[in-house]
Amino acid sequence: MPMKGRFPIRRTLEYLQKGDIVLKNRVKIMTVNYNTSGELSDGARKFVFFNIPQIQYKNQWLQIMMFKNMTPSPFLKFYLDDGEQVLVDMEGKDYKQISQHVKKILGKSEEVLQAEAQAKMQASNPANFGPRKYCLRECICEVEGQVPCPGATPLPKEMTGKHRARMAAAAAQE
Amino acid sequence: MFQVIGGRGVQVTRLLAPGRAVLVEAVRGRKSRTDTVAKSKQGRIKVPPPVDPTEMVVLKERYAEYEMITRALRLEFKEEVLRKKYEEETGSMAEEHRALMVFNDQENLRMLQQRVVRIQMEKEEAENKQVEAAIERELQQQEFIKEKEREILKLQEDAKNFITLENLDQRIEEALDSPKNYNFAVDKEGRVVKQTMLQ
Repeated sequence: MPMKGRFPIRRTLEYLQKGDIVLKNRVKIMTVNYNTSGELSDGARKFVFFNIPQIQYKNQWLQIMMFKNMTPSPFLKFYLDDGEQVLVDMEGKDYKQISQHVKKILGKSEEVLQAEAQAKMQASNPANFGPRKYCLRECICEVEGQVPCPGATPLPKEMTGKHRARMAAAAAQE
Repeated sequence: MFQVIGGRGVQVTRLLAPGRAVLVEAVRGRKSRTDTVAKSKQGRIKVPPPVDPTEMVVLKERYAEYEMITRALRLEFKEEVLRKKYEEETGSMAEEHRALMVFNDQENLRMLQQRVVRIQMEKEEAENKQVEAAIERELQQQEFIKEKEREILKLQEDAKNFITLENLDQRIEEALDSPKNYNFAVDKEGRVVKQTMLQ
């Protein structure tokens, strides 16, 4: 009941997160033309079956379209945002070779990915308190083990500023 | 309060109306429909501010021109900022991108050559197969003809031994003269004995 399809591992989060093809921001549309039968289209079919879910997971805003049995030979076409089209021939190649080739020509390099990860980490600094949009927490009262929000439970009298001020005034009077 | 003006009056009013972007209708405000009007506002008739026609026309033209210019400038600056941001992202990658595209083109060319060679070989194989099939078919036909000829000859040979009306009496005499014994015996070892006693 939890396992659906021929290779249910493709549906696991771990598998999807292992995908290493993150395409550049300029790539907007990816089109895959392949055939459902034929020895030469085998690599293309495996690429579609195994790697496309990973690519879509890592590039959520990329539009991917598949076309079956339209041309005699399989190919990939990438449409960039300035109108440029990049054609990648897939005939006779292995699916691993295809994914490596795509990663090389249009994928973000390791340094770029790491820089982006660093920037994201800096943005989500747990030491910052503020609106939910920019920070993790809004007030220290949300943290486990800290004084709870006085809006939810009233503070003990000794901790209120009113009491302290009265004590200070009484001490000063004496 | 609404003003219903029809026909040519519309153009005049458009010319004379202050060119405000938003047309504000009478808004309800704090008091509801049934609340009484305040004592100080009992006989008040709201009158729009007076408009000098010539001044209005001149002002409208000038404001239109001014706003057009400022809007154009604003958009220009916005576009420049966006383009700068885009350029700094992709401009630095332009050379590498070009190099990668060249690499991709070479790869495609290599695949193309491979494909051309493969198609050539496939075509030759197909042609060879066709020729062989034709030869095979020819051979088959020849065999067939030969077989048929053999059958005809065999039939001709057999025809000599047929029983016809002329041969009939002779053949009956021959058959009666030579009785044939079809009996045979088989033992448990499987040895067939054709020579038995005719009863």
